[in-house]
Amino acid sequence: MDMFVSLISRAVFMSTPLILGAVGEMIAERTGMMVTAVEGIFLAGAWGGFIGVYLTGSYTAGFLLAMICGLLVAMLYGVTTVYMNQHQIVMGTAIAILMAGFCKFFFRAIFGTPTTPLKIEPMKVFEIPLLSKIPVIGPVIFSQNIISYLTYLLVFLTSFVLFRTSTGLTLRSCGENPEAADVIGIDVRRIRFLSVSAAGCLGGIGGAYYCICNAGMYNSEIISGRGWIAFGICFLGNWKPVGSLLFGLAFGVSDALGIFAKTSQIGMLPTEFFNALPYILIIVLTICRRNLNMPAKLGTNYIKEN
Amino acid sequence: MDTKSIPAVELDHITKRFAKVLANDDVSITVNKGEVVALLGENGAGKSTIMKILYGLYHATSGEIRIDGRKERIDSPKDAVKKGISMIQQHFSLVPAHTVTENIILGNCRGVIDYKAKEKEIQELADKYNFKVSASSYIKELPVGSQQKVEILKALYLNARILIMDEPTAVLTPQESEILMEFIRDYAARGNSVVFITHKMKEVMEVSDRIVVMRSGRVTGTLKKSETNETELAHTMIGHELKEIKASGDTAYESGRKRLRVKNLSVKFHNEVPLLSDIDFDIHEGEIFGVAGVSGNGQQELCEAVYGYLKPTQGTVELDGEDITHLDVRNHISRGIGYLASDRHRYGMIADMSLSENMLLKSSYLPGWSSRGMIHWRRLEEYTEKAIKEYTVKAPDHSVTAGSLSGGNQQKIVVAREVDAGRKLIIIDQPTRGLDIGAIHYVHQTILNEKAKGKSILLVSTELSEIFALSDRIAVLYKGRIMGIYRNGDLTTEQIGLLMAGCRIEKDTDVHFSGRREEEIE
Amino acid sequence: MNKKRTVYDFILWTVLAIILGLALSFSFLPVFGLQPLEAMKIMISEVFAERYSMGNILVKTAPLILTGLAFAFTYKANLFNIGVQGQFYVGCITAAAISLKLYGYLPGAVVILLAGIGSTLAGALVGFMIGFFKARFGANEFLVSMMSTYVFTYLNLWLMRTVLQESKHNYIKTDYLDKSVWIPQLIPGTSVSWGIVLAVLAAVLVWFILYKTTLGYRIRVTGINKEAAGMAGINPQKQFMLAFAISGAIAGFTGLIEVNGMQHMMLPDFDVDISSFGVGIAILANSHPIGIIFAALLFGFLQVGGTALGHASEAPASVIDLMQGFVMLFVLMSFYFRRKIELNRLKKMKSADKEVA
Repeated sequence: MDMFVSLISRAVFMSTPLILGAVGEMIAERTGMMVTAVEGIFLAGAWGGFIGVYLTGSYTAGFLLAMICGLLVAMLYGVTTVYMNQHQIVMGTAIAILMAGFCKFFFRAIFGTPTTPLKIEPMKVFEIPLLSKIPVIGPVIFSQNIISYLTYLLVFLTSFVLFRTSTGLTLRSCGENPEAADVIGIDVRRIRFLSVSAAGCLGGIGGAYYCICNAGMYNSEIISGRGWIAFGICFLGNWKPVGSLLFGLAFGVSDALGIFAKTSQIGMLPTEFFNALPYILIIVLTICRRNLNMPAKLGTNYIKEN
Repeated sequence: MDTKSIPAVELDHITKRFAKVLANDDVSITVNKGEVVALLGENGAGKSTIMKILYGLYHATSGEIRIDGRKERIDSPKDAVKKGISMIQQHFSLVPAHTVTENIILGNCRGVIDYKAKEKEIQELADKYNFKVSASSYIKELPVGSQQKVEILKALYLNARILIMDEPTAVLTPQESEILMEFIRDYAARGNSVVFITHKMKEVMEVSDRIVVMRSGRVTGTLKKSETNETELAHTMIGHELKEIKASGDTAYESGRKRLRVKNLSVKFHNEVPLLSDIDFDIHEGEIFGVAGVSGNGQQELCEAVYGYLKPTQGTVELDGEDITHLDVRNHISRGIGYLASDRHRYGMIADMSLSENMLLKSSYLPGWSSRGMIHWRRLEEYTEKAIKEYTVKAPDHSVTAGSLSGGNQQKIVVAREVDAGRKLIIIDQPTRGLDIGAIHYVHQTILNEKAKGKSILLVSTELSEIFALSDRIAVLYKGRIMGIYRNGDLTTEQIGLLMAGCRIEKDTDVHFSGRREEEIE
Repeated sequence: MNKKRTVYDFILWTVLAIILGLALSFSFLPVFGLQPLEAMKIMISEVFAERYSMGNILVKTAPLILTGLAFAFTYKANLFNIGVQGQFYVGCITAAAISLKLYGYLPGAVVILLAGIGSTLAGALVGFMIGFFKARFGANEFLVSMMSTYVFTYLNLWLMRTVLQESKHNYIKTDYLDKSVWIPQLIPGTSVSWGIVLAVLAAVLVWFILYKTTLGYRIRVTGINKEAAGMAGINPQKQFMLAFAISGAIAGFTGLIEVNGMQHMMLPDFDVDISSFGVGIAILANSHPIGIIFAALLFGFLQVGGTALGHASEAPASVIDLMQGFVMLFVLMSFYFRRKIELNRLKKMKSADKEVA
């Protein structure tokens, strides 16, 4: 029983950055922008986050820097695709590749090659008084770190804004029929650029999470496709915040199981299978899922006819 | 001054130029309060353009707009809407995935949305005008007629006093058209103004107060409905210049074999207005069969169905006795059918490829240009060079990209290709759109040459002069139905004009008419 | 616009973009106390100092040509095969498995041939599957191919840990391949194998397929204008599957070149960046097979030079990654500027013509 609880608790922990990334991606995709640079955003966030904490000792500074780094990468993507009409997928991929090199290079530039990897103290869990003592739910939901709490808030906030406010309606319309929004006088390009920027901020924090809250160090393997998983979760969650939450949790579980399997050798399934499980899941679900909510103009640039 | 007598809208000497094209030439139109004005004319008359200027989508090159007597500047649709002008275009600007309510309040609400209240508000508005639309339905679930109602509701929600409608009944069933007419009368009776753009005579006579007729960018007549009739309107619409009715005289084809037989052809999708209904006709060898009509009446669907790109829901297409209705495009091509689509950029050519690569487009599966999968480029390039010479295409050589050619020259290349691909039947839709006189003449001569070789030609065009110049027999397409098939020379321009606008004509000079005449065409 | 002029223009802009990208990357080197010009000098002198390092350029170039081709092929159909890395790995492990299990039973050349066929087919199969999922289920090929790479990476890891592990069972890797199944050396005194020749031949073959066969023609048409393709009797779905299968085949074949020609065994984290470089190369060469050869050569040179730079100075080898990224970015942006200028030119040209729209 204890094992189960700690598994779920761990799953929630691992799911937070994925949910963050997925919600950010979803906001952008709802306006029609397929931010394929998401892996690069995560990387930049991890890089910035680690440096921020290492140099200042403050977690806030770290996450702030992470957010800024993610934002800058997203803005580069935004300018080139929205205003320079570059192909969304190609540009996003190019930026992701650029960030891989950029982060590696500049990490080395700042820190050189230390003999032992640089470490920071991982952020502690913040147990909500009283609530965290409740059996099962306590450790699972109320004994996480601040970022996780903020993430849950974000999910519900986003859900509310997206479906119950005029801002949300505008966002969604830009992705479904930008011409209709344009005729009414909505500046589609500006909205798209802003939503991409939002994805950058959230993705940056998500990437930093892996360094600051989990590993306590930075190297080029730390993200290893997590940005892409967040991208996939956005798809699978049917472009709804709650969907991202659910699938994020599902992947968190499979992540937690993987570590579990390594330590306790359950069954005859090799650890590699558990490592591959999240990715297999995405493939299977992508094939089976009828994408009911895909924004109609996702991936297409909007060019004003004049 | 009596405010009622100040016109709601005055368009004063508006001229609009697009690069070298004069779309509106000194157009002046007045719309009074409580009045329904019909803007009548054929394709390319300039009707949509002038209204788009009023709606702020285009900017006039010169001229003035006055609303309620005040000079106004309308820079964008948002401006127009603020001044009470709304336009219902042919392509709706609706979001299919959203509800009726969400579509209507888009851009007109702030902060948290109280959906229940908004829905109620909109439902009341809909009920007020007797629109049978539910405020909570999703647009994609609604039939086209209801979608149009949502567009209208949007305008009403924004307190539009002047409603512009562009070919509103194009997608409506007769019953839905009736309801729309009722709405227009009701709306105007409340003191609002309506301008509706159409080419359909019946609607004009039914619901308008005044009629403005346009042709080639100019206003050719402004008439009160009570003082005119359909014949006069048809005349004003099409003009007197077309005295050049080339009576074909040559009926040699009639003794030839019937190559193409189209029987009972219909294309109707679930829950929608039929695109084609009971199309029946034959084309002989060596005959040019012209299909006249205002665009949007099923011409493209007819061509695509015969070509195999669109599968009919009913009926058959036979080529030389073989039923080819359900064969795919590849098989149609290999049986010698060529097709010049009206939208060549979308369907006819690859702008970024060279001319010789474009010539290969329809024949990549055929044995002529390749053996064992390898393309005989040399042969193809020589052929392309020959075509360039023959058709006097203004291109340095075969290797330039198709997109770099001017429109007319692009069309020549496509004509060259399809004429060759069409060993037996050539389907041509708008062959000379956008071409200069010389090119038009050349294309026409080409078509006549092909006819002389014994090929069957299905010619679809909105240019009556072209139809008259080339066709042996002429069919008029209106709302997906054939209004009649006549020998070229048996019809006057007025009669054709009436048919194109949906009216029946008295004279029973049909030749090979299928006899499926409805009591009510509309 | 004349096609020759287009090519000339394109090369001009691309070279400009490359120079800008490189210059920008080099301009960061002073952080390490190294002046850009000095860095260039070191790179060139180190690389061309001896045969061996010059040969390494070709060694690096070979697989880059192939991964560039693999990505470019699907890009011609307007599709994105981001799973090239995974298809490469599948090819690697297949080539390794066949080479290890069959050597000694059959003559070396035959084993190499079989390994080549096997790796190519394995890659093709994976590619075909992705294309099939897209055609049949409308699955987003970007996502599916991206994820497939990770799946196959872990598959390989598992195989290397269990069935194919080295006889000594010390590390997670396969046994060293027997010399008889190595791709023979091409240039003595270097580690250059015939792999580079095979890669160049592959580029020529791909060029031939794309521009001289009806198959390639149809794929290109579908990539530019799906609707015109449909109107011409070409089935877009079929073309997708075909394009992905061929792309996967090329990626799989790369496995043979790298395993039997360079590394002579299979180990984890093998050539981990090879497909992302392939993307860059394809973009650089605008997906033209012959252009890819040159773009790959450039990247090959940069890689060897970068490593040399890392050894001979304080600068890190990761400046290569930086260069790659910036060059790609600038090349992409150059398309924008080039398009803009051309559109302006066309507009002026067309309004001079007597055209009635």
